[in-house]
Amino acid sequence: MQVNSPTWGEPDNGAGDRLGDEFGAGVIIRRVEHRGELTLDIPVDRLLDVCGFLRDHEGYDLLSDVTAVDYLGYQGEVAGYWGGGSDGRDINHYSHSGKAAVPEAAGPKRFAVSTTLCKVMTVTDGNHRRLRIRVWLDDNESISTLISVYPSADFHEREAFDLMGITFEGHPNLRRILMPDDWGGHPQRKDYPIGGEPVQFSDEV
Amino acid sequence: MAVTEPRIWPTQKVLQPTPSELYPSSDNPDLLEINLGPNHPSTHGVLRVVTTLDGEIVVGLKCEVGYVHTGIEKNIEQKTYWKAIPYVPRMDYLSFFSGETAFCMATEKALELEVPRRAEWIRVLFQELARLHSHLVFLGTGSVDLGGIALLFYCFRARDEVLDLFEMVCGARMHPRYCQVGGVADDLPKGFEAICRKFIPFMRNQLDQYDELIGANPIWLGRTKGVGVLSPEFAMQMGLTGPNLRASGVPYDLRSANGGYGAYRELDYTPVVEQGGDVHARFRVRIEEMRASVDLIEKVLDGMPGGPIISDDRKVVLPPRHELHTSMESLIHHFKLVTEGFTVPAGEVYAPIESARGEFGFHLIADGGPKPWRVRLRSPSLVLLQSLAALCEGVYLADLIAILASIDPVLGDVDR
Amino acid sequence: MTTSLEKIFKMATANSMWPFGFGLACCAMEMIAMISSARYDVARFGSEVVRATPRQSDLMIVSGRVAHKMAEPIRQLYEQMLEPKYVMAMGACSSTGGMFSNYSILQGVDKIVPVDVYVPGCPPRPEAVVEGLMVLQERIKSGIPSASINQETQS
Repeated sequence: MQVNSPTWGEPDNGAGDRLGDEFGAGVIIRRVEHRGELTLDIPVDRLLDVCGFLRDHEGYDLLSDVTAVDYLGYQGEVAGYWGGGSDGRDINHYSHSGKAAVPEAAGPKRFAVSTTLCKVMTVTDGNHRRLRIRVWLDDNESISTLISVYPSADFHEREAFDLMGITFEGHPNLRRILMPDDWGGHPQRKDYPIGGEPVQFSDEV
Repeated sequence: MAVTEPRIWPTQKVLQPTPSELYPSSDNPDLLEINLGPNHPSTHGVLRVVTTLDGEIVVGLKCEVGYVHTGIEKNIEQKTYWKAIPYVPRMDYLSFFSGETAFCMATEKALELEVPRRAEWIRVLFQELARLHSHLVFLGTGSVDLGGIALLFYCFRARDEVLDLFEMVCGARMHPRYCQVGGVADDLPKGFEAICRKFIPFMRNQLDQYDELIGANPIWLGRTKGVGVLSPEFAMQMGLTGPNLRASGVPYDLRSANGGYGAYRELDYTPVVEQGGDVHARFRVRIEEMRASVDLIEKVLDGMPGGPIISDDRKVVLPPRHELHTSMESLIHHFKLVTEGFTVPAGEVYAPIESARGEFGFHLIADGGPKPWRVRLRSPSLVLLQSLAALCEGVYLADLIAILASIDPVLGDVDR
Repeated sequence: MTTSLEKIFKMATANSMWPFGFGLACCAMEMIAMISSARYDVARFGSEVVRATPRQSDLMIVSGRVAHKMAEPIRQLYEQMLEPKYVMAMGACSSTGGMFSNYSILQGVDKIVPVDVYVPGCPPRPEAVVEGLMVLQERIKSGIPSASINQETQS
């Protein structure tokens, strides 16, 4: 299999183990390895501690991204597809045609905020690594800001607030960044309509 | 190689309370707050910078973005993966092919789909052409910002030659939609290699001309040397990657990090690094990167392998037209792919590449169906704008323009 | 006498349209190419001077997608232009919203300013924009008033 993004490196399970040693076993709720990428699910209240540890002791000096995802309706009816088994593309597997392959639940709550970290200057070339830290939250929960650990999270968090409605506690400037200041609602949520105009004569015969 | 003294960087502190906004510290009642409004002559796009000036010195700065927010990420959720590809080059519209490649690579990573060797080499060729396009526009508009309008005409003349190459291969000058999931859409036409080979010495000649125009120009040097110094530690704290980081001496380039991705693994690319960290170094890095791009293009043409240009996995890629006349299976594949699209197994992937601006990648969250669940672009320009306030503390207004030109944000990338 | 004087005025207006360099997104790149590239030189049509301020320009080329946040500045800029003023909607996004049918993009800039010429394309080739300019020149020379005549300007 071709490795399409080598800067991920080997999944850094060692960092996960050392996090467990430092903060106790409950700090990592789940480890997910998918396509060579390691994602660690951690509780919402441990986010700052974990990121501080990763920056100071593990050498993850670059915050690549803070992404917010809305999983509302994730396990709804997916358009039926053919040619694969229920766990993905296996071209030799005989399929039950037309039946949807419903994915397993991605996580316990509606929103996921993932932080992708990268080792850039703390390692020599050939040893760059990435790691994804993910927290799950519901609509009314808030998450602490990462600005004190990684200042580059500023605009990413403002965008997550603006477009997804996730509140970052402690952010000094949490206001809308991409939408107009008086916009109502959070557009990238799954229950927000796509908008636009109906094309003329769409319903006429 | 000369041994250089380790450079002593000025200490740069992260601004408080907000890292990306500068607040005036004095209560001088004569401070003037002006608006470098969404419409201004330097074409980085529609960026609004609210500055507070003490005379001509910048003491306060706030970036307001969102004037070209297009909601592309939400639009993509409504489309199948193929139909989503035309949306992505319109985000970073200067290095447009990088956008297409990043999206296709993320989808291929999620699918675990192998791309044929020739397609990888063609993709590298066009990524380098897109990088040339972006840096040419950067250089042209950057020099207009600094007042030297002549370079604009030179750069846009060369840009037309680059766009001719894109047009030869797919018909459209910008936003070619040439990259496909599984490879590229069509093979290089006859005569492409000859024209591309004529382009290489032309471009080298052009780059020499640019060096002659601005390399020793005392006004240019006076306006760019020592202005907007960015230390590597501060750049890391603010999340900068790409030419801005390399201008501060950090040799981090995704085309070579851990070996590189795609065909860069076979091409042995060395990152272009400068030591100055100021506006001048950022301009020099991009000019040298243009030279490196031309060298890479020549290497790619010399070593281009033969073979198929797209994967032959019929569950993802359309079968060739002639097969539709004879094979029932191909017809069914074609039908399902066109009407419903291919499905991608559920999971989250992130596959970054090196665009002209820095680390550029798509977070792709698939749900097992034919449409992506969520697509998010890790936009390098959004991160760059955060450091504008810190870089512009205490500089003249004219230097603010120079710094903004040198860090090279593209507002389509910021606002998406 | 009056008609030939009018004819001269129209010819003068048509052959000296100073564009307002208003680039929003990708179409702006092709617009700059039209203005500054030797191949599609628009100066030969009289658009020698591209002004950065609307108060000194005749033709506003809206090149790129118009977000709701940007609609107010565009309207303000349009109102700062002096009569006779013309608007060209360059590209699919400013004509009708383009491929972006969503919450954030105005489905056509003609919802806020009156448009004289629509140039389709995504992005349109610089030659297409030049043809749009020529169509506008023909319109002016044949006496069709600018679309701004139907607008009641506020302020």
